[in-house]
Amino acid sequence: MITIGILVIISLHMLSTGVKPDGRASRPSLLLMEVLRPFQALESALTYGASGLVHDYFDLVGVREQNVELRKQLAELQSERARLVELQVENRHLADLLELKEALGTSAVAANVIGSDATGLSRSLVLGEGSGDELRRDMAVVSTEGVVGRLIAVSSSVSRVLLIDDHNSALDAFDQRSRARGIIAGVVDDGLTMKYVDRSEDIKPGDTIVTSGMDGVFPRGLLVGQVARVSQEGPGLFLNVEVKAAVDFRRLEQVLILTQKPVESAPDRKG
Amino acid sequence: MRLIGLFSIATLIALVLQTTLPRLLPLGLFVPDLVLILAVDLGLRHHGSLSAAMAFAMGYATDAFSGSQLGLNALTLTLVFLLAYWLARSLISTSVVIGVVAVFAGVMFKDIGGYFVSSGWSTPPDLHTLIPPMLLQATITALLAPWVFGVMDRAARIIGLRQRAARE
Repeated sequence: MITIGILVIISLHMLSTGVKPDGRASRPSLLLMEVLRPFQALESALTYGASGLVHDYFDLVGVREQNVELRKQLAELQSERARLVELQVENRHLADLLELKEALGTSAVAANVIGSDATGLSRSLVLGEGSGDELRRDMAVVSTEGVVGRLIAVSSSVSRVLLIDDHNSALDAFDQRSRARGIIAGVVDDGLTMKYVDRSEDIKPGDTIVTSGMDGVFPRGLLVGQVARVSQEGPGLFLNVEVKAAVDFRRLEQVLILTQKPVESAPDRKG
Repeated sequence: MRLIGLFSIATLIALVLQTTLPRLLPLGLFVPDLVLILAVDLGLRHHGSLSAAMAFAMGYATDAFSGSQLGLNALTLTLVFLLAYWLARSLISTSVVIGVVAVFAGVMFKDIGGYFVSSGWSTPPDLHTLIPPMLLQATITALLAPWVFGVMDRAARIIGLRQRAARE
């Protein structure tokens, strides 16, 4: 019981003092991320690359009439084709990222997604690049579809990104049409919400939400998502704004990490 | 040392599965909490300071791959271990069913407690919307528990790790 008491105090201390994921107390956890990297990278390779090979192979096994040599050749060709298709997809993703990088006009590093959050409540992804690739904590992570999140832990060859749909995430954004500003945060049962939007603001479903560049992490004008629903429940000061994220976080394979901090700029107000 | 070795390997395997399965299957919130099952197994069958420290370490390891608050899973898994330990000490026998119930209660406690803590020690406004998915996650995890207990039991026997009975 004494041991448990001590351990509870230690964990409460870590929580209450707000130990950062890259602080001294988190060094063992960063080491652990490094240890698990090969396994996660292997799974990632299997998912993105080799799953086609395995499926094609099993399909061919079922065709008994064909002679063994033909089946073998066909399997090889199918495997080659699956590999080439996968390479083509990867190539397209990387070309899109390169295009985005040039459009943003900032220095950036491409990274593969190799794992996701260990629990269902939080939303984060494990990336196969780390401080060895010049990545640092609090760098912005984007994809060709829009904003992904920010780095919260970086070890030498692995890093972890907190997605914008995590309930602890917050980013400054505004409505592109009405210029109404708010804070984008995650909702635990999926989706995004735009907080602190004044009731008097003109914000409608279908409006595009983009980053404001005021949080010092994301450059201005990156796509966050579209307004899905607006309501005014209760006597509160603010609107309830539901936002549909532009990025499908579950399907992310490659992302771009912006290694240069954005220059702060305020969105123009209408009128 | 055998206890540390067995549960370290089991935790690493569980973490790899927990961080890769959601990308293969559309699990969403329903990621089975395999590490929690291991913590319950520890609490039910392996008593002592080392087991408590192991539960804490397993939670800390989960923190490396989850959320943005270091210590959250370390705290909740230590308390889940305490719950399982208390059950093992209080009940005459600890069957698989007790383990399954402990896992179910543990997941609910960990999810609600974890969300409560990560929301700044205040009741989150959208907690009611979370209960159904939490119940489903707890059910999925509890259903997997007998299988994990079986694997751990066999592994413990193979390496000659002594497992304590209740009230021992």
